Amino acid sequence: MGTLIGTLVGVLPGLGPAAAIALLLPSTFHATPVSATIMLAGIYYGAMYGGSTTSILVNIPGEAASVVTCLDGHKMALKGRAGPALGIAAFGSFIAGTFGVIALSLTGPILSGVALRFGPPEYFAMMIVGITVLTYLSSGSMVKALLIAAVGLILGGVGMDAISGKYRFTYGLQVLADGVGLVPVVMGLFGIAEVLENLETEIRRDVLATEFKNLLPTLKDWKDSAAPIGRGTFLGFFLGLIPGGGAIIASFASYAIEKKVSKHPEEFGHGAIQGVAGPEAANNSAASGNFIPLLTLGIPCNAVMAILLGALMIHGLQPGPLLMTKAPDLFWGTIVSMYIGNAMLLVLNLPLIGLWVRVLKVPYYLLYPLILLFCLVGAYSINNNAGDVLIMLVFGVVGYLMRKFQYDAAPLVLALVLGPMLEEAFRQSLMLSKGDFSIFISRPLSLAFLITAALLIIIPIVTQRKKLATLEE
Amino acid sequence: MSRADKISGFFWLFLGVLVSIEAYRLGLGTVRRPGPGFLFFYIGIFVSIMALIILTRAWVARKIESEKIFRGQNVRKAIYVLISIFLYALLMEPLGFIPVTFLLFLFLLGFVEKKRWAVALLTSVAVTVAAYLLFETALQSQLPKGIIGFLRF
Repeated sequence: MGTLIGTLVGVLPGLGPAAAIALLLPSTFHATPVSATIMLAGIYYGAMYGGSTTSILVNIPGEAASVVTCLDGHKMALKGRAGPALGIAAFGSFIAGTFGVIALSLTGPILSGVALRFGPPEYFAMMIVGITVLTYLSSGSMVKALLIAAVGLILGGVGMDAISGKYRFTYGLQVLADGVGLVPVVMGLFGIAEVLENLETEIRRDVLATEFKNLLPTLKDWKDSAAPIGRGTFLGFFLGLIPGGGAIIASFASYAIEKKVSKHPEEFGHGAIQGVAGPEAANNSAASGNFIPLLTLGIPCNAVMAILLGALMIHGLQPGPLLMTKAPDLFWGTIVSMYIGNAMLLVLNLPLIGLWVRVLKVPYYLLYPLILLFCLVGAYSINNNAGDVLIMLVFGVVGYLMRKFQYDAAPLVLALVLGPMLEEAFRQSLMLSKGDFSIFISRPLSLAFLITAALLIIIPIVTQRKKLATLEE
Repeated sequence: MSRADKISGFFWLFLGVLVSIEAYRLGLGTVRRPGPGFLFFYIGIFVSIMALIILTRAWVARKIESEKIFRGQNVRKAIYVLISIFLYALLMEPLGFIPVTFLLFLFLLGFVEKKRWAVALLTSVAVTVAAYLLFETALQSQLPKGIIGFLRF
């Protein structure tokens, strides 16, 4: 049940898993804790898949982790291959989710111990890598991507500073006191901006006219996708494990890796199915990975998990190491339910693809007001605050302008998400080392991350120079 | 592309400097105890440097055909829509969900898209009702009641 509702909600642009869970939370109070958790997990999964559906079909990410799916998934749809795209997303998610659940049950206790050894410098370095990875895979100039990422970091700083308690960059605006908010920004940058751009240039939605005969991916698609799904699953799970990691980073990282590993990197951004399979698998297994710190340590690694934590506490449970001993049925029950949830995801969504597709056949002049409405209401319902709606609209304009001036929006989103954590890790590291910058280099893990990041920046510059040199000869 | 890049480059340069100044005012702290503005000061500088790179590239690059930035014909349409949704956001709480939604659709369908008034009217009603049922009743989100709030649904 939760899965179905979750998907429905996830499909709607702007109502991501966090909002979905928040919206449906009251209805879970009647149920027992176990079933409440199960339902919430189902919603979470459903919402993530729903997000990919909109990403592929309408190029509007249903929520942050689906941003990557937009890149190639939508191109596939434009080529008439929406069916396989959705199918692969579903299957990939299923496979990854299943694996994730199994892995969760096997490795839960062990891995959380390892992740705990990450200190602030490691977090900082890891996040730097995450951002550089994204700039690496950005279409267009890398300088612009880096710049945009930096802007994202700045935006992440808006609001109250956790360490000093001062308000930054808020200029007395109440609505900014809590920060800019990821959901309005994403909805604005991708949703509203998309609509605005379409309005301006009147893109014909010809793809809708073609019949969707092939709902199932072809054999070739499967062959192409198998490895990405595998890699994505592993990657996603580990990234989901680490607090601060999670589905978003996982999907971006998977995309970057697939692009690097592929024999046809030019296809990426134009409809390479690996660009859908990998990230989809990654974000689902990351979702499973996300649960581990929550259930075993009691530490939520992102907003959704935090809400779940609150929900569990309302039901009188205390997530943490004690959970497994005191209430083993909750732990294992949740795991079983997640497996079921995955299966349901697959079963429910494949036949419904036809339904989703028909949604797109609605003529655009009716569709876009509806999309706008969903965005508007969605933004409002985050906090019952019209200010969020305004933020979304402002970023809608920003996103539109960015497209016009050829800046890629994705690094901004990631930087916005990571910004606060990045800064905190940075400052904690410096406080730890008493002002010694070498702390980032002296610790092996952190050094490894930083080297990776540096490579990601240097390599494109080198290859570009080489290209220019050969051109001039 | 060059002209656009010059515009955006200047913008970012300006922004970067602004951020750095603001960050400085927030307090840099010491390296041992970084203050609120510490990281952002350097990020602002970073942005400015990047902006300078973009500007330099734009200057040096050979002039390709000057492209219009706003290529489409329907900029006006986009602006209308934009204004209408901004108004929606601003009037949401004073007027309430139902009136604004209805008005929005009426405006978009009737004026912007120039559909026949009957069609626009009917659709607006249908959508408003459906949306209300979906969001308020089914999902129980708390949408603003506004001036017709006394009509407690």
